Amino acid sequence: MANSRNTTLAVLTLSLVALAGSLFAGTGFAASLVIWVAINVLLAASFRFVQLIGELNFAIAGFVGLGAYMSGICTAKLGLPFAVALVSAALAATLLSLVVGYITLRTKGPYFMLISFAFTEVLRMIYTQIEYIGGNSGMIGIFPPVLLTDYYPAFVVAIVLLLLLALYRLEQSDFGKVLVAIRNNDAIVQTVGINVHLTKVLCLAISSFVAGIGGALLAHANNVISPGDFSFLLAVYTLAYIKVGGESHIAGPILGASVLTLLAQVAMGFGPYEHIFYGAAIVIAVLLMPDGLVGIIRKLLGLAPRAQVTARH
Amino acid sequence: MEIFGQLFLNSLQISAAYILFSLGLTLIFGVMKVVNFAHGEFFGLVLLLIAIIVPWINSPALPLALNYAIAGSVSILATMACGWFLYHFAFKKFQRDMVGSFVLSVGLSLLMQGLFLEFFGGVPIKLPDLFEGNLRILGGAITTQRLILTVIALLVAVAMCWLIAATKLGKALRAVAEDHEAAMLQGIPYRKIALYGFLIATFLAAIAGALLAPVTVISANVGSDFLIKGFIAIVIGGLGSIPGSIIGSILIAVIESVGGYYFDPSLATLAMFVITMLVLLVRPKGIMGNG
Repeated sequence: MANSRNTTLAVLTLSLVALAGSLFAGTGFAASLVIWVAINVLLAASFRFVQLIGELNFAIAGFVGLGAYMSGICTAKLGLPFAVALVSAALAATLLSLVVGYITLRTKGPYFMLISFAFTEVLRMIYTQIEYIGGNSGMIGIFPPVLLTDYYPAFVVAIVLLLLLALYRLEQSDFGKVLVAIRNNDAIVQTVGINVHLTKVLCLAISSFVAGIGGALLAHANNVISPGDFSFLLAVYTLAYIKVGGESHIAGPILGASVLTLLAQVAMGFGPYEHIFYGAAIVIAVLLMPDGLVGIIRKLLGLAPRAQVTARH
Repeated sequence: MEIFGQLFLNSLQISAAYILFSLGLTLIFGVMKVVNFAHGEFFGLVLLLIAIIVPWINSPALPLALNYAIAGSVSILATMACGWFLYHFAFKKFQRDMVGSFVLSVGLSLLMQGLFLEFFGGVPIKLPDLFEGNLRILGGAITTQRLILTVIALLVAVAMCWLIAATKLGKALRAVAEDHEAAMLQGIPYRKIALYGFLIATFLAAIAGALLAPVTVISANVGSDFLIKGFIAIVIGGLGSIPGSIIGSILIAVIESVGGYYFDPSLATLAMFVITMLVLLVRPKGIMGNG
């Protein structure tokens, strides 16, 4: 038990340090970096949440985009308060994910993966066609409320920490265990009377709720959004964070997103090698470090690797 | 009537390429349970190689058709070599691991696209026409070269279907797709058949690319556009099903040409997506998918 208390303490300390650090990030490049890392961590955690049921959710980019546009419409177009924008972004993403999830999560197999990929691209195409939200050139003037301007990085970090905690608690709860059970053997879950289909849909909805908030935070950090920001590449980069970090523990996406986001900044210094950078990151992680950085750290610390059951259909 | 003929011709042209492309996707899935996200990159690689070779060996002494034939064959062979390499060093380890192989192929696809951009540059290329002239069929107009290329593509597709339906290799491929363990018990060498399936699929993507070379604007990310349509086609048709992929491709092509004519291309893509969702509502595993 002492061990788990130590872990809790360590996590708490790290969170406080992150929060305190982001308070002093100001509004320059450091602030942007803090926000990018925080949002990427959030998206990676959201992506990983759907991996608990053994699915890859490429629609995350679509839901992030939806959240971003929804919140942008609220604050920049309608002049509504930021809080309303956040909530409506999360709700819009959740509602749409319920519809998409209900239709595509009924069967096992790659149907959801493929459709989620197409979904993201279709949403992006729709944005380019709507004049009201700026079409191809996108939407400008999405600012966080004046009160928050100086503390926006800290605000983002705080929200991200809260959502991470919520996702972690959900994963540890009975609901989370059902999700993992569905990944391992959905037939058994079905036989004990749990509605597998609706549980999967709910899992996607929770993940999309988080993605929607991520989108709103992103839109208000960048102040400008355009359809191109929310192509499936966003989802693929998120996948890279998880693969590099390791997916057996929620620390994986946190670690992976932080490391890759910072490394990518260095790599971009050499030229426009984003594709190669993230592509190579995924390929190397998949082929050489199956449990990511988390697995390597576990090995270094001499901890037994957590029993990891991957879905094999 | 004239519009109808024209739309029919357009659908035919588009569907020929989609059929080749999605046949490969569905074949790999059936045999290896791998959804190959990098399938579009094989397609793109052929186009880019042809775009380099054709101007390079171009000379007055060499007829353009022969030039295309040489460039096409070399590029297809090179792409298949690339496919063989990727099979041995990557995909082989992830057979029957659907999620793992998908992640791997996503990474490979991104990496290859980055490399293409690096080596071939970002400037789109349009190669010279293979044949001049127009034809009129059923009241619609079609360029001679498009007609010839479409016919070749359809012939390849028919040959492919014959290979799968009537030859011993095809039988083995189908057996492995249905139940690979039972197939192995019958003495079918699974690993070998999986490699053949992968190479045939790569060949199909490559030949689709080669046949589109004279009529497409070639750029480094030309494969992505095909990939999304290919996915939709095999999802509508039912993953792993050969007839399903053909039906799906034709459906996609009809929507694209009719929707593109009466509305605009992006609306046609939206329509494809909505129709896919409707199909999945009624048939969760696609039109030809069972279970």
